[in-house]
Amino acid sequence: MSLDNILNHWSDYRKGSEEGGHHDYEHRWAMAINLDLCIGCNACSTACYAENNLAVVGKEKFEKGQAMHWMRIERYWDQQELEHPEQGASFLPMMCQQCGAATCEPVCPVAATYHTPDGLNAQVYNRCIGSRYCSNNCPFRVRYFNFYSYYESSWPEPMEQQLNPDISVRDKGVMEKCTFCVQRIRTVKDKAFMEDRPVQDGEVVPACAQACPTSAIVFGDTMDEGSVVSKLWKKHQVERGVYQKTKLAKKDADLRGYRIFEELNVDPSVMYLERVREDI
Amino acid sequence: MTMVTEKDINEQIAWAKINTDVLKSMENPRPAYWVTLAVCIAMVACAVLAEYIQYTVGMGTANLNNPHMWDMYIAAFVFWIGMSHSGTLLSAILHLIHADWRKPIYRFAEAMTTFSLLTAGIFPMIHLGRVWNLYWVLPYVSDRGIWPNFRSPLVWDAFAITTYLTASMLFLFVGMIPDLAICRDNTTGWRKKLYGILALGWVGSDRQWRHFRKIYLLMACFLIPLAVSVHSIVSADFAMSIMPGWHITSFPPYFVAGALYSGCAAIITLFILLRYFFRFEDYMTLPIMEKTAKLTFAIAMVWTYLNLIEFASVWYGHDVYNKELLIAKATGAYAWIFWTMLFCGSILPFALAFRKLRRHMPTMFVVSLFLNLGMFFERWMIVAPTLSMSQEPHQWDIMYGSIIEWAIVFGSFGWFGMLFLIFVKVFPSVSMYEVKEMVFHRKLSAGEEDLARMTDHAKPVTQTTGGGGA
Amino acid sequence: MMGLFGDFEEAHDAIADIRRNEVPGLTVDDVTMTSPIEHPEVEEVLGERPVHIQKFTLFGAIFGVVFGFIFLAAAQASFLVQPQGGKPVIALPSNFVLVYEMLIFFAVWLTFFSFIFLSGLLKKRSSLYSEKVSLDQVAIIVEIDESIGESVKGLFEKHKVLEIREEAIR
Repeated sequence: MSLDNILNHWSDYRKGSEEGGHHDYEHRWAMAINLDLCIGCNACSTACYAENNLAVVGKEKFEKGQAMHWMRIERYWDQQELEHPEQGASFLPMMCQQCGAATCEPVCPVAATYHTPDGLNAQVYNRCIGSRYCSNNCPFRVRYFNFYSYYESSWPEPMEQQLNPDISVRDKGVMEKCTFCVQRIRTVKDKAFMEDRPVQDGEVVPACAQACPTSAIVFGDTMDEGSVVSKLWKKHQVERGVYQKTKLAKKDADLRGYRIFEELNVDPSVMYLERVREDI
Repeated sequence: MTMVTEKDINEQIAWAKINTDVLKSMENPRPAYWVTLAVCIAMVACAVLAEYIQYTVGMGTANLNNPHMWDMYIAAFVFWIGMSHSGTLLSAILHLIHADWRKPIYRFAEAMTTFSLLTAGIFPMIHLGRVWNLYWVLPYVSDRGIWPNFRSPLVWDAFAITTYLTASMLFLFVGMIPDLAICRDNTTGWRKKLYGILALGWVGSDRQWRHFRKIYLLMACFLIPLAVSVHSIVSADFAMSIMPGWHITSFPPYFVAGALYSGCAAIITLFILLRYFFRFEDYMTLPIMEKTAKLTFAIAMVWTYLNLIEFASVWYGHDVYNKELLIAKATGAYAWIFWTMLFCGSILPFALAFRKLRRHMPTMFVVSLFLNLGMFFERWMIVAPTLSMSQEPHQWDIMYGSIIEWAIVFGSFGWFGMLFLIFVKVFPSVSMYEVKEMVFHRKLSAGEEDLARMTDHAKPVTQTTGGGGA
Repeated sequence: MMGLFGDFEEAHDAIADIRRNEVPGLTVDDVTMTSPIEHPEVEEVLGERPVHIQKFTLFGAIFGVVFGFIFLAAAQASFLVQPQGGKPVIALPSNFVLVYEMLIFFAVWLTFFSFIFLSGLLKKRSSLYSEKVSLDQVAIIVEIDESIGESVKGLFEKHKVLEIREEAIR
């Protein structure tokens, strides 16, 4: 009976993420992106298009802001002190941050986006009704909406042959976003399950990390103490649920790790390593 | 006696004249009525065409893009929800405080509530990417064990609007039962059949009136907190988010004040239209117009105050995202909209402070339209600039709606106008029994006053006596 | 028997006379007054007659709160994959908002239905109904024995009755 269920699990169901929530995480997938290594080549973005059946919307719609790039390279010209400031672009690969306390989740009216035991924000395309509230409430603006049906325009014959059969092609009216290549995670987990062993570090490689020529993107499980990502997070004193401020108080020059908009307390799963500037 | 306070309504008006005047309004309005109705239907046709294109091609036709996931549809949704609030104000709050000047005008104000809610309810559907799955928002028992997400303010909206729509429709209907009985007794043909069913066999017995008084009071008591909660919940769509310019504590009262404001302005507009269409000069009198205008002015000042409070708290709060956004609103690409909104919302209502202007119908008509223009801009200024300039600088953008979006928003005014005009033609838009009550009670108290004056000054005044009617 | 009066004052006085037992065998409990507008003053002479709507309203409100909360909490507790966003499974603040709406929803509907049934609507109107009542006249309807018919008529006429209609009840 559901009344029994409420009464028996009341204290458990009343826990927020601060007290651990009611989730028993199996994995907590995370990334570390070294901006010092990023050369802004857009290979990650291209790989993402190929892997995840992203629609190519064309120049006109791109200019309107209706592009579908789950992974985008943001460019900032923030070195005005250079002799040629236009040459001093910095790059920031931006994709869904798979927040631990994601703001997109609680606002969805139909529960189409939810938190998986892997620590991912899953998007259920079939359930989405396209209210677009999740995108509005995403401080990173990394959710993309299918404003049109792109199937015919984006993959004219015989291009549909190169679509990835592991995932669907989304139709108009549905929200989508980076999944940390959930289909690859799934394959690896299934394989590990069949072989009756835990998932090894480095087994799951998302398309962007695989394509990055400078290996700027490292992917792994922060629940696995020995993983490269865990070690990087620890080294740069980035911890889930901890504010940027506590870390900066230590004033150690080598601590380059930060999470974007940490002050909003959304607990992102992507750590960026600041670029090392020549003049510092 | 030089200074005579003008009466809200002529107490000598015969009861039979009230009946015939109102019943006549349902038969032969001025030709302008038919012209307006035709224009409204044409506007709806435009919107239907635009929606057909948007439905088949996709939401991109409205020029929506990545930062601007919401735009004028949501602004219009908030606008229409807001407009519905003053009907409740006029009928429920003024009922509780015994302001009987509401009686000749509350019926159409309540109808306005119902129809602007029906208009508002369309927008969440129009703006959905997959509108055919709308019912997933409802909490029905599904064999897959899937429920809507009760944490989402959009689900709160669904609950609040359903409750408000049913409650305000019931309130409108209950208040109309005695009038429907009058219509039943005085009409023939299909109208007699319709009113006969809707009047539910009302005969006006003491038992019925006693229960009627109770239910009217109870429903008024429920409608007031309901109306406040509805617009607070609509404001929660924004205030519950994490976006700068949306995540603001003062939003619920700010929205409620804005709602009452735009609703009162709309009441003035419709007041003037109905007065002209149906020749209601005896009922929708200038003193009542003046009172409505004063009420609007007071609410306009509350709204202005809440605006200033919001700016001040953002300014002194020193939250970098919020402050930058406020500066961008006042000086950036949308500055002309921002200042038009402040002019229409805060400066223009001072026109209502002048007696001469309050009594000049064409001026009032134009002013009330501009007040609502300001309120529409206000809603748009809430929705869009936040999305144009949120935390993430890479996604900053300026966007204006496409012709499809404009056509649908434009058409919503036609949809509202069409429903409203059909309603006032089919149902009595002036509450006959309550005007009679107003006349009856005012005559009684006037009689007492005259009596007092006679004894005080020994001055012959024709005392009003006699039967209630002709 | 129904008497139509041109003025509420007259009808009021007529009922007052009935209350003073000026016609033997007729009490105010047999009197029904129908009027075009609401006359709360009539209770002075008709006596207090009870209204029970508010009890239904209270019941509806309580039902809305209890049912609303249990419904929401049960749905949330049995739907654990729902989006969390770092928030608890049963999030009280949002449930309070929804319970508030459900309180009003059920209270209003119960009020409405109790009004329909308690005020005697949805019945066939008796032939002792005059369309003039919806215009400007006040009617007093009394259920009496044939034997005192004449004296009641006399009483009505004393108060300037405009029209008297009679109907036999089988």
